[in-house]
Amino acid sequence: MSITRRVFLRNGAMAIVGTTAIPGFLTRAAFGAELAGDKKKRLVVIFQRGAADGLNIVVPHGEPAYYSMRPSINIPRSAVIDLDGFFGLHPSLSAFQPLWRQRHLAIVHAAGSPDSTRSHFDAQDFMESGTPGLKTTQDGWLNRALHALPQASNRSAFRAIALGPSLPRILSGSEPAVALNNINDFGVGGRNPNAAPIANTFEAMYSQSVDSVLHGTGKETFEAVKMLKSADPSKYIPAAGANYPRGRFGDSLKQLAQLIKANLGVQVAFADIGGWDHHVNEGGTQGQIANILREFSQSVAAFWTDLDDLAEDTVVVTMSEFGRTARENGNRGTDHGHANVMFVIGGPVKGGKVYGRWPGLDQSQLYEGRDLAVTTDFRRVLGESVYRHLDNRSLDQVFPGFDNQPEKFLNILGLS
Amino acid sequence: MQFSSRKNALILVMCLLGLFSANLALGKKKEQRNFVTQMDQPEMALHALNRLTFGVRPGDLERITTMGLDKWIDQQLHPERINDSALEARLSPFRTLRMDTRQIVENFPPPQLIKAVANGKQPLPSDPLKRAVYQDQIERMQEKQDRKQLTSDSDVTTSTGKASTFSDEERIDRRDKRVSADLAAQELLDMDPDQRLKAILKLSAEDRRALSNELKHEKRDECMEGMTPEQRETVMALNNPQQVVANELIQGKILRATYSERQLQEVMTDVWFNHFNIFIGKGEDRYLLTSYERDVIRPRALGKFEDLLRTTAQSPAMLFYLDNALSVGPNSDFANGISNRAYKKAGKKRNRNAGRGNQAKGKRGGLNENYGRELMELHTLGVNGGYTQKDVTEVARVFTGWTLKKPKQGEGFTFENSMHEPGEKWVLGHRIKPNGEKEGLEVLHILARHPSTAKFVSSKLAIRFVSDNPPQALVDRMAETFRKKDGDIREVLKTMLHSPEFWSADEYRSKVKTPFEFVISALRATGADIGDAVPLARQLQSLGMPLYGMQPPTGYSMKADAWMSSAALLGRMNFALALTSGKLKGLKLDPGYLLGTNGTASDPQQTLAVLENNLLAADISRQTHDTIATQLQDAKLGGRLGDQTRLPSFSVIAGLLLGSPEFQKR
Repeated sequence: MSITRRVFLRNGAMAIVGTTAIPGFLTRAAFGAELAGDKKKRLVVIFQRGAADGLNIVVPHGEPAYYSMRPSINIPRSAVIDLDGFFGLHPSLSAFQPLWRQRHLAIVHAAGSPDSTRSHFDAQDFMESGTPGLKTTQDGWLNRALHALPQASNRSAFRAIALGPSLPRILSGSEPAVALNNINDFGVGGRNPNAAPIANTFEAMYSQSVDSVLHGTGKETFEAVKMLKSADPSKYIPAAGANYPRGRFGDSLKQLAQLIKANLGVQVAFADIGGWDHHVNEGGTQGQIANILREFSQSVAAFWTDLDDLAEDTVVVTMSEFGRTARENGNRGTDHGHANVMFVIGGPVKGGKVYGRWPGLDQSQLYEGRDLAVTTDFRRVLGESVYRHLDNRSLDQVFPGFDNQPEKFLNILGLS
Repeated sequence: MQFSSRKNALILVMCLLGLFSANLALGKKKEQRNFVTQMDQPEMALHALNRLTFGVRPGDLERITTMGLDKWIDQQLHPERINDSALEARLSPFRTLRMDTRQIVENFPPPQLIKAVANGKQPLPSDPLKRAVYQDQIERMQEKQDRKQLTSDSDVTTSTGKASTFSDEERIDRRDKRVSADLAAQELLDMDPDQRLKAILKLSAEDRRALSNELKHEKRDECMEGMTPEQRETVMALNNPQQVVANELIQGKILRATYSERQLQEVMTDVWFNHFNIFIGKGEDRYLLTSYERDVIRPRALGKFEDLLRTTAQSPAMLFYLDNALSVGPNSDFANGISNRAYKKAGKKRNRNAGRGNQAKGKRGGLNENYGRELMELHTLGVNGGYTQKDVTEVARVFTGWTLKKPKQGEGFTFENSMHEPGEKWVLGHRIKPNGEKEGLEVLHILARHPSTAKFVSSKLAIRFVSDNPPQALVDRMAETFRKKDGDIREVLKTMLHSPEFWSADEYRSKVKTPFEFVISALRATGADIGDAVPLARQLQSLGMPLYGMQPPTGYSMKADAWMSSAALLGRMNFALALTSGKLKGLKLDPGYLLGTNGTASDPQQTLAVLENNLLAADISRQTHDTIATQLQDAKLGGRLGDQTRLPSFSVIAGLLLGSPEFQKR
């Protein structure tokens, strides 16, 4: 049954490159059928590049040390959105408040990598490879997360997708993955009347290329182009109330929502937002951090609203390479630190709670005397999402060398 | 068959090459040579062009062959011996490329300077053109303030139910102005460019602002059409002076990469800019990069590494980008409130407050680790080069006081002793005695001569020029030269160019081009005539490599995995098609140039053969050739192409070739 459908799909998609007149409902049905019987669960990973200042994002307002170490850039108790009497959200995260109340948003504080590096590049690399301290790992954990899934699962060209012009480390590896910068530009030749034959020629060239990188990228690309054309995600405009802020990050999530709503079989997705490296004039309730947090949270909240009932099957996890110094530096900013905060948002999330052990901010409790200590390995949080949400039981392959037994999970996700 | 003519060309090249350059591939040590299969002669010439330039132009292969490969390489290593007057002529309209920072700031004032003039703290310039720029910006600033005032006023009126604060007269007046601006715009567009500019300058600042508001996007392009670059510069400066500086920097970068005969120097300038990367979007760096690239990087691109290290460390652009200009010794006079001369001088009123918040009450300012860390991680030792967090803090202490004099007026580096942390420091096991500014120089010297630096820098060069995974033996030999020759970059490159690894057959076309390399090589291959490079810069942005636009200090990756993705591939194919079909603004492409003098390739197959020769030096895989050839015979595509004049078939075939797998590699 499913074989027939797939054959139809493939031939149909091939034909579509040359012709245009296939009713949308037919192709949508075909994709839907392809996915029927599969779990449509999807994991979205968001990277805050540049080392976000977790202590000013989810503020430990019950810690006197927080205020004494950050005399000019702290978030006053009066300004935080209190969560549990000890932690509070930065006021710019007000878009997260409804999600917290509905218990769709969980927080893991003092999470991070056991590796002590304070290099942006290395720390990002480790978080994407999923093997802190090990530079020789070739692929990313989000790609490996697709390895051990049941064979029957979907083979959509959009199964693994990164929003942006390049494929990030986290998604590189043996599973096909697509980078998409802009839905409208994702094709060859635009409105040129010869576009279809030109696209076919490019496809043939790349499919015969002996260069394995170009060959592989070409194959994935042209499959994706055809699928996208027939699914026509441009007709999925944002749902009412999904107000994406302007900017690259909001655009990324808006397009990701379109792809998901177009039923393209997205299983894992990745988007990133830069600009968190605030060595100077970080700001508190106003200023740089306030602005970027507003963009960040409004984009994620809009994505959540936009997905509507599809949000039920979606888990979003956020991360950043490391946190920042507990004390502010000489320029009303913060330098590179250690532990950070992660958000987990989604249908199956047991939210409304701050997870993880709080290590404290007293001098003796700080990592190397200066930074928030890591009490939850980031792989613990990601591992639980991969295991419980994607149903991948082979965590030893996704995060090799890390003891990630389910009984050690923080139980952020409801058992399914 | 077309193949035979291509073969003939290759054989000719091969024969000519045979007469020269034979000794290049012969590494000094015989035993090393035995490990790798070397390229053949014509491949060597193409390889040299692909790796040491931004791409092969039609005829380059013949030129290099006539001259001799050795001689050509030697010449590229000594750019001062190469005449580059054609490029200079292309750059001459862009005045900011020849201005020092102070002149740039004066002529293309940043907002702070406009404010100072508006408040009467600084006089209006007397030169009429400059004056117009200032007046327009002041007008614009006031307009903005009015608008703010207006919105807050209207908030009040809605809540109190009063009528608008504007009287009817004022409203009519405003409407009339809008109408007249509209009319003026149309009139202006009908004038010839010279008259148009004169007319614009004659307007009052207020009218010019109104006009500028009328002239958005295409209309502004239309307004500048037919103007010389200098005239365009004036019109753009009236609207947004700072944008002129950034745009001209981009023009310079693209024009140099495309047209300079000193190709290796340009490649190395790109290498070092990327190594000592600075993001143009960070505040003052917008107008500091012109001097940074021209005065710090390019003159030293083939010089001594330590010179680069010292001059970048003292450059306003770097001091600002990595925040060292603001770093204050926690026990310095300034921090203790004994002197605030330093901050005043550096024009950092805003940050005086910033400093005040530091943990020790009453103290102002403190350390900023940003530069200290990146100096070791990215500029010298490499992340595993053997430094600790303690070293980072100590280096930051050493460099306190390395700051800027009046950066907003375009003045440069200064050492401010009152901001400098007193006492001795320990860096990488060396005791640094208290010695003011010289402590920093001592540390830079230690870092420049550190074995980790030699290795790290050599490895980066080998990744750029040889392979994504360069052989360790090659990196070691380059690092040895680096150490023995005191960081002499030219010597390190020579070691690389004399290595068997560089000429290994495995490395032939083994590197994937970055978007910049791809775009420039396409421009060079097609002989595009660039009038305005800004649209090309937009293309680079959508290909994921905005010029001067890498925000983190890491710089762009030079490895394939960073640049190969679906989005990237489609972007490249579409760029190729847009370029060859004349859809890219700001440049001209002459099909006659590529198709030969008569330009009358009668059938698509012949066009294909000629274009393969000119765009890919005839070095194309049989698969790619056959694919295109077959498609051309295909009734549908071939028919369409046959029906049309030679131009569409030229653009399709050239586009296919530039988007082919072969063209993505160098």
